[in-house]
Order: sequence, then structure tokens, then C-alpha cells
Amino acid sequence: MTPEENNEHKTTRRGFLELTLGWTTAAAAVAASSAAAVRFLVPNVLYEPSAQFKAGKPGDYADGSITFLEAERCFLLRKGNTFRCMSAVCTHLGCTINETKTGYHCPCHGSVFNEDGKVVGGPAPRPLPWFLVSLSPDGRLMIDKNQLVPADKYLVI
Amino acid sequence: MKPSFLQRTWEGFRDTRVGRSIFRVGLPGSNLERAQAMVSSFLLHFQPAKVSRRALKPTTTLGLGLISLFLLLILVGTGVLLMFYYVPGTDQAYAAMKDLQYVVSAGRVVRNMHRWAAHLMVLFVMLHLCRVFYTGAYKAPREFNWNVGLGLFLLTLGLSFTGYLLPWDQLAFWAITVGANIASYAPLIGPKLKFMLLGGNVVGQSALTRFYALHVMVLPGLTFLLLGIHLWRVRKDGGLAAPELPVDQTEPLEGGSLPVNKTYGLMELAKGTSFQVGRDPDEEVFSWPHLIFREMLLFLAVIAVVLFLAIFFNAPLEGIANPIHPPNPAKAPWYFLGLQELVSYSALWGGVIVPGCLVTALAVLPYLDRSRKGVGRWFARERRVANTIFSLCLVVAIALTIIGSFFRGPSWSWQVPWKTPAAAVSEEH
Repeated sequence: MTPEENNEHKTTRRGFLELTLGWTTAAAAVAASSAAAVRFLVPNVLYEPSAQFKAGKPGDYADGSITFLEAERCFLLRKGNTFRCMSAVCTHLGCTINETKTGYHCPCHGSVFNEDGKVVGGPAPRPLPWFLVSLSPDGRLMIDKNQLVPADKYLVI
Repeated sequence: MKPSFLQRTWEGFRDTRVGRSIFRVGLPGSNLERAQAMVSSFLLHFQPAKVSRRALKPTTTLGLGLISLFLLLILVGTGVLLMFYYVPGTDQAYAAMKDLQYVVSAGRVVRNMHRWAAHLMVLFVMLHLCRVFYTGAYKAPREFNWNVGLGLFLLTLGLSFTGYLLPWDQLAFWAITVGANIASYAPLIGPKLKFMLLGGNVVGQSALTRFYALHVMVLPGLTFLLLGIHLWRVRKDGGLAAPELPVDQTEPLEGGSLPVNKTYGLMELAKGTSFQVGRDPDEEVFSWPHLIFREMLLFLAVIAVVLFLAIFFNAPLEGIANPIHPPNPAKAPWYFLGLQELVSYSALWGGVIVPGCLVTALAVLPYLDRSRKGVGRWFARERRVANTIFSLCLVVAIALTIIGSFFRGPSWSWQVPWKTPAAAVSEEH
């Protein structure tokens, strides 16, 4: 082996700097721009309907009624003086479920939920969530879809 | 023979300074010019100057890849036309579809052509994949090109999916809802992926904008990039996969024997372990006119079929998107119905795990199946095991698609296609 060949395998100052400064900087630049591009795709402001909404006065709903709130895609249930609100969005793939005599049926992939939102058939992996119902200062029902509650939690008027 | 009027006009133009500057080679009269015609033309140069008679036989490949390419060209042409009217806004998209249907001259035919060419392209890309499998054409040295083709298959599905959302009809809205929710089942990144895909939590304007950008720019760009590599690699990998020559033909060469496993290259134009050695020159013919005219004929046939379908069958358009109620049953287009049937058992298994495993299996296949036997022949006996496994998967996929198409009624419950389901009447909502 000639001395020149032997030298090629040794780390030279130039080689070391190329590796540490050159390639590390290049990798960091690529990583940073990729991260920025991905972050760019995540919106910071959403122009979507609020998760909190008012649903009229308690007196608007008859005793024992199950009302489908269309725009908000949820069911408002009144029993006596108690109110509960259950999501109408199937936990499987997000279709709107239909209320039937035998429970709630999803038209897309056939999930079935009972009156408590528990899965009794089909591919849905989770029960339907229940939302917090409260009374606003002006005497209207307030529903907050960001606050989940157990199925047996009621608002008592 | 007296030259026709067309011929005289063409030759008159070719003889001018301008004509000669554009067309370096005229209509070929000799074999030299036939080769030059292929090499010197931008549109033709990516094809070989000569092709084997075997490659020209329709039964060798059935022309499935070529048909897919022609359909893609039709899709680009009609797609660009549609872009002149379509507006990707939730309040305008559906009206633009109605305009295309009823107001724009030839708008209906252009939209129909785009739709039918898209459906046919999904079908022919699938058939092309099957052809390559059943002829063992994915084996070395074509492993990489098989994977490029797999990428093109996935891009085709992505283009179809993003495409049928754009009309903003009921199918569009609920397909985007279901599709984005399937994405949310992906491990670790699922919910974030869904948020990024929709540009929010709900299916609305930002989702439509994103799918539009994907459909007209991102996915077509990637498709043409991969397509370029795909066609280029077909040449580089030695043209169509052909059966290995019998050993006694490759051996006898004057001036000593050549190592059998050496790779021969000719000016980097073609590579192969048996490049031209022992091949009979009479087995090859000039691409001009034998290949080119066949291709043109096929292109005409593809356009004719798409045009026929577009004139006599209207592309469906459902009612305007209703974010409150999905149609019942809400069915995907036929090529996703097998997947929808799987998803109706479990979103995680049917939407993520099973498709993920299938794609991975197809991707690593050429690296696992390393035998060189049975390449270039349909249903080769040596490939019984591989062909049987592939056929079984295919049968299951077709069965799932048929079940999803004909045996699922409202609420995805079982029904027999020749009976009106009682549930459809009573559960109308």
C-alpha cells in the first residue's frame, strides 16, 4: 500500500469538517424546511361552527322526546325534568346515525347503538359520546361538544 | 404508385427550410430512415428502433399498460378543459357541475369522458398489474420498476378518490367524511393526519380546497414523474420481459465462450444477461411502422370506446351535499366497495391493516421471489404456487366487491339484489 492510498482512509481535517459542518448543516436545512412545510399545512385558525351552542328553552322540548339537532348533529333527550345530549356521529367512520324503533342505526356500515349510545352491533369501536348540557344565564340550554360526560349525567331543571 | 395529395403536400412542406428544420427525417423510405425516425423524434425516441415480433403479438401483454397510458392522456385533456369551468368552492362546485351538464357546449360529453376514462383507468391499471404478475415480469432486473408501477397504481386510486369528491354531491361529501375517518385509524399519526387532510375538524371548504390541489396538481405531477421513470426503466431493464433463451443458443460463440452471468450493455441503451446473444435478427422488425401504427390504432380504439361511453351513458351526479344526512346506503364507487365491505367489519383491520399488508406484500414480492423460472410466459407451470396465491387474493377481492355492490342494502344490511328490501321502505328517514 502506498502512503497516498493509506492516507485516504484516514480522517483528514477537510473530511471531518465536510462530515460535521457540511452534511449536518445540509441535513438540518432539509429537516427544518420539511418540518416547516408540514407545519404550514396545519391551519392555525378554523372557520368552523363553535362546539358550544344554545338549543332553545327547556320548555321547547316535550317530556320523553328525542330531538335531532340537525346543524349540530346530536340528539337532545328530555325525560321529566332531565336533559341529556348524545352525539349523532357514528364513532366508526363519521356518518350521521338514524334514530329507529330499535335504537340508532348507521346507514354507512351498519353500526347499531342502543338508547345509552352503547355499541350493540356493527363495526363501531366506541360508544357514542355524551355532551355536557347546562343552563345559560338567559335560561336557555347550553351544549358544549368539547366537554364529554358519562351517559348517566343529567341536567336537572 | 402515384403519391396522394396528402403525401405531396407533406413532401412539399418538408422540402422548405422550415419543414427541414422541424422534421430532420422525413417519412422513412429505407431501413436506415426507419431507425432514424425513431431515434430523432422527441415523441418517439423513448421507444426502441426495433422490436421483437413477440412484443408485437397482442397476447404478449394485451396492451394493458399502453391502454392505461392512453386513458391518462384522455384524462389530462378532458381534466384541463373541466378546470376552465369548475370552481372548488362548497357553494359553487355543485352549480358548476350542473352548468357543465346543461349549459356548457359539449360540457356533458367532456365530463362523461373524464369520468368513464377514470373508471377505465382504474380497471386497466389493475389488469396491467395482474398481467405483469401472471407473466412473472416483475422478477429481476425489473424489481424496482414493479414498485414504481405499484406507486402508479396507488396514485391512480388517489386520483380517483380526490376526483370524485370535487362535484360536492352527496357521494362526494360522505366519501370525504368516511375516507378522512379511515385515515384517522392509522397508528400514531392517525388523528393528526385526518386534521391535516381536511384542514380542520369538519368536512368543509378547506377540505375541498385541499383535495382540489391534490387532484389537479400534486397527484398528477407525481404520476407523470413516476410514469417517466416507469417507461424509461422498461427500456433500461431490457424491454418486455421475455422467456430466457434455451441454453444451447446462448453458448456457441466464436472466439471462446462468454461468462453466462455477465451483464452485457450496448452503449447503455439496453441491458440484460443475454443481450442479443443468440437472438435471430429476423425476429426483430422496425418499430416504424410496425409498432407505431399498432399503437396509434390502439389509441384510436381507446378514444372511440371512451367517446362512445361518454355519449350514451351519463356520469352520475347525486343530490347536492347534505352535511346532515348521508344517503342510505352510502356506497363508494365500485373499486372501493371491496374495501368498504372490509371496513364494515372493522375500520382498523379493513381500512389500515389489510390494505397496508397487501401493498407491502406486493412491494417486497420481487425481492422474495428470486427464481428466474417462468418469466415472460402466461401462467407458467413453474409459478403454480405464486399464481395460486395471487389468484386467491384476487378472487377474495372480487367477491368482496360483488358483495358490497349487490348484496348490501340500507344500513349496510344483507339483501338479495333481485328483491326490493323491506327495510328500505320502512326505515326511510
